[in-house]
Amino acid sequence: MLLRRQVLAASTTTLPLFLGLAGCAGHPNPLSGPPPLSPDVRTLMTAATAEDNLVYLYTNTIASYSALASGLSPLLAEHQAHLSALRARIIEPPGKKLHLAPSSRPKIPATEAEAVAQLRAAEQAAVTAQLGRLPAATAAEAQLYASIATSEATHITVLKGLSLS
Amino acid sequence: MATTPVSTDEITVLQGALAAEYAAVYGYGVVGAYLSGQERGAAMSDWQLHQDARDTLTGMIGKLGGTPVAASAAYDLPFSVDSVASARRLAAVIEEGVTRAYLGVVAVGNAKVRTFGALAMQGPANRAIAWGGSPTAFPGMTSAPAGAATDR
Repeated sequence: MLLRRQVLAASTTTLPLFLGLAGCAGHPNPLSGPPPLSPDVRTLMTAATAEDNLVYLYTNTIASYSALASGLSPLLAEHQAHLSALRARIIEPPGKKLHLAPSSRPKIPATEAEAVAQLRAAEQAAVTAQLGRLPAATAAEAQLYASIATSEATHITVLKGLSLS
Repeated sequence: MATTPVSTDEITVLQGALAAEYAAVYGYGVVGAYLSGQERGAAMSDWQLHQDARDTLTGMIGKLGGTPVAASAAYDLPFSVDSVASARRLAAVIEEGVTRAYLGVVAVGNAKVRTFGALAMQGPANRAIAWGGSPTAFPGMTSAPAGAATDR
């Protein structure tokens, strides 16, 4: 049986060795920096980036086709609300600054009809993506994703109406 | 063969959605009485959709081992309906209520039931707007989530 001072001596000399081994064993070193992002935070960031992309698309479509402004501005406002709500749920780990910005900057099509079609396709893709986030989400986050998906589904209906007018 | 245990929460939220569908079926009976032409046709079509949804939920609850709640003989309307305008408003309110009920279904842990609830929100949300309801950034929610801007 080891004497107490032997155990203490062993701890002092083996601690650096332990830390080194911890880094080499494929496990995150708990003292090396901020903790990794949780799956929930990563999903929220992906969802927020997707909304940022939609805000970019709507903003630039309105800038290109001012006649569409009255129909599209309310939808843009809703995407901005979605983005705010998603960002509000992202908790930055201490020591880690998260950068959120649009990841996609597509060209606005040459005709109004094509621009509206591009928005419809983007909204449909957004609905599908939100539904894909449901299974792994917490109950509260699932409800947020579902509500946003439903809002985006209503946008598709509005955009169909714009196409026909 | 291993089966996923059914949570009583799943049956409870589906019963909530079923109750909303019963109220919708009843409410559309009132709505249709004040409309004519194309609008009456739309109300009849939406009434049928709610009956179909009622039957779907009844089947789901039965398969999960629950006993579907029964419809009430009558329902209190949220306001007096005595005109075309008030009938349209009732239709919008009905659809907003059904959307809220399905958002409740999304909160369960079972992925399939959760997705069912999310998909089921879309029809009522669209119909609420078609009947003149106010569009909202967060359909089904009684208030905007923290950090969000307000509606359109």
